[in-house]
Amino acid sequence: MVNVSFINPFSEEGRQIVREFGDLNSIYEENGDLMDLVIHSRSQDISDDESIPHNIFDLALKRIEWYIKKKNNPDFDYKKYSYLYNYKITKFDVIAFYLLTQAISVKFGPNSRESRVMVESQGKLMESRLGEMLISEKREILRTISNNLFAGEVKWTMFAELLSSRKLKLTELVLDRGNIILDKEDFMENLGNKLEKRDPDKMYQLLIGDQIKELLINRMIMQKTEDYIKDVYKKSMRQIEPNPLLLDLADKVSEILNQPVMGYGYRGSSGKVEASPLNQEAFPPCVKLVLEGMKSGGRNDAIIIFLTPFISYARLYPDVFRRNTTVRISDVDPELEAVEKEILPLIYEAAERCTPPLFEDQPQEKVNINAKMGFGMHSHIELKHEGETTWYTPMSCEKVKLHLPSLCKPDKTCKNIGNPLSYYIRKLYNSKFDNESKQD
Amino acid sequence: MESNEDKLLKSASPEERRRYYREEWDVKDIPEFISKSINKREFGFDHMGRGPNDRYRVFKNMDLLRKFLRYRAPFAAYSSVAFYDKPKRRDGWVKSELVFDVDAKDIPLRECSCEGVCNICLNQAREIVCSLIDTLKGDLGLKDLHVIYSGRGYHLRLFDEAVMKMDSDVRGQIVQYIIGAEIPKNEYADDGVTYKLEHFTIPFGYPQVFTDRTRYAILHLKEDTQLDEVNKKLLKDAIKNNELLKNNQWGIFKGKIGPQRYQKLIKSIASLNMSLVDAKVSIDLKRILRLPSSLHSMVSMKCMEVQNIENFDPFKEAVPKFVYEREG
Repeated sequence: MVNVSFINPFSEEGRQIVREFGDLNSIYEENGDLMDLVIHSRSQDISDDESIPHNIFDLALKRIEWYIKKKNNPDFDYKKYSYLYNYKITKFDVIAFYLLTQAISVKFGPNSRESRVMVESQGKLMESRLGEMLISEKREILRTISNNLFAGEVKWTMFAELLSSRKLKLTELVLDRGNIILDKEDFMENLGNKLEKRDPDKMYQLLIGDQIKELLINRMIMQKTEDYIKDVYKKSMRQIEPNPLLLDLADKVSEILNQPVMGYGYRGSSGKVEASPLNQEAFPPCVKLVLEGMKSGGRNDAIIIFLTPFISYARLYPDVFRRNTTVRISDVDPELEAVEKEILPLIYEAAERCTPPLFEDQPQEKVNINAKMGFGMHSHIELKHEGETTWYTPMSCEKVKLHLPSLCKPDKTCKNIGNPLSYYIRKLYNSKFDNESKQD
Repeated sequence: MESNEDKLLKSASPEERRRYYREEWDVKDIPEFISKSINKREFGFDHMGRGPNDRYRVFKNMDLLRKFLRYRAPFAAYSSVAFYDKPKRRDGWVKSELVFDVDAKDIPLRECSCEGVCNICLNQAREIVCSLIDTLKGDLGLKDLHVIYSGRGYHLRLFDEAVMKMDSDVRGQIVQYIIGAEIPKNEYADDGVTYKLEHFTIPFGYPQVFTDRTRYAILHLKEDTQLDEVNKKLLKDAIKNNELLKNNQWGIFKGKIGPQRYQKLIKSIASLNMSLVDAKVSIDLKRILRLPSSLHSMVSMKCMEVQNIENFDPFKEAVPKFVYEREG
């Protein structure tokens, strides 16, 4: 019988495991029970000692390593991590989960890349675990968790947080008069009669079945993980010294995330994309449009929240979405030379070309440009202000369509691209590849 | 009719504005949803017809607002969709109405070819509003809804408490849902077997919304319509076969178009649907919106609450008296 906390560490059972856990320092101690479970897990294929977590500390790191390798390594061998799908490790796994979230929270805070990876890895792990279960086991566990999480009518408005973070999409749900249809009885009663030529039973299984319940539970657990990280962070602000054990774990997590990434990507995409002078020919159509100057609505947003992040990341950190580390501008441009001589002039020129020129009637918008690059609300960019605001990542294509629909004039390269910055990288690769082919 | 409308839609002179606010306008025409929250909202005014640059105004009560409008007779008056603790500084955001702005001059696939707005495109805007209301009520279960004729289109203003605190990102998702901006998935799995179900075979939820919006768009295509990645031949074939959609014969329509070309067509329409409403208005939590009962001076029309959208005719109900008394 699969434990609920194997899927939902926030369940009462999960909390009980934490309460019953003894000395925190024991997480470093070799744990024979854990090792035994790992070695005897179904389909495991571990031939070296290094792949076996010897204690809970190791197990916590393996959880992150599993996610990163699964995401980035084309040769990922899931059999080396099959113990992560073995529900018998639950009591160790729950402790590893709480250790990881606390460590990441106190060391990196809730807005870090490490926190994002933690939340995503929890979602993916839950998905994989459910995928490995027998259908009957999966149904039972989903039923138990959903009975706890959703009692009575389930309104879509209850999931505002999930919708806001786009962990959940409204269009994925079956909605009727404000309710998310989850139960078969509700489906039959409210929507079944609309189906004339199809079997309502089959349609329920296809459109709702277990999938929507699983989706909602998965996203809720991801959200709870994020909220937990925030809570711990708030509490840690009041503490003088965080536990060194947590800091040690956080450092090790960081090491895993800093390892070079092997991408799946497109042709020639095996290496990193380094910061390099901008190649305007490789810019996507939307960016080219803004550089020509905005002639009608959306001028401010186009320059400040669209162009500024794009140009700064394209020039200094084009690989942001493929790497797992958080950086500041000064990490890649310590003297702020590229910012002063290349990035700002390009943005200012585009602002000048607008009708009317942006700074003519709103000179204060220069401050907002600095803020979007992480230098706070100041009229001049200075290192001492760095970090006062966040260095905004470039808007996704989806957000561009919402905020600035007039900019979206896709060309052939835009196909399957989710962010203008990915377009830029792809174009750079293609031109590099073409040049190399010509030379050959 | 055209020439009469041209006369009707002329901009209002300062004298006409004064007459409107002194003789015709009544503070009681301002809907209760504004009056009962007056001290929580920011007000903005455009005095010269150059945009609302008199911002951050607050009124403690309706009488002060009455006096202001009566004596200043602004070119345009606005109030915030947001409720603030300190509206004068736009500080202490409490919540915001959820708003959808359907502007007749910006809707895609207009039936008319007028420069600004006319009865044809205004009626089209009205039809779009009706379909949005159906989705907001039927799918999303939102009920506290007011329709405002803005002078050149419609504002849908929602006051359901559950949505008023929602942020821009959630509002963005609501917009995408109700306008059909995304192609629904067409592959569904059960017990490891994948089944193909096109949006038009699912008569409820988002697939149905998308089907309705797509049908509307295809029925309004014209030979000179420009659609991304849709060539003239595909456009022509879609128009030639669009009668099938009136009878819900989507399968036959898709067959006539061809499955791959059908995907291209609906992809392009999904992107076109993005301009059914002005999404910027919906996601902006601090927007100011034309004040119901005020005068849209650019077109000399009253911005007013609509009681029955099904048979509302702005040319009968929203034209101020001074327009009929104009010479010529």
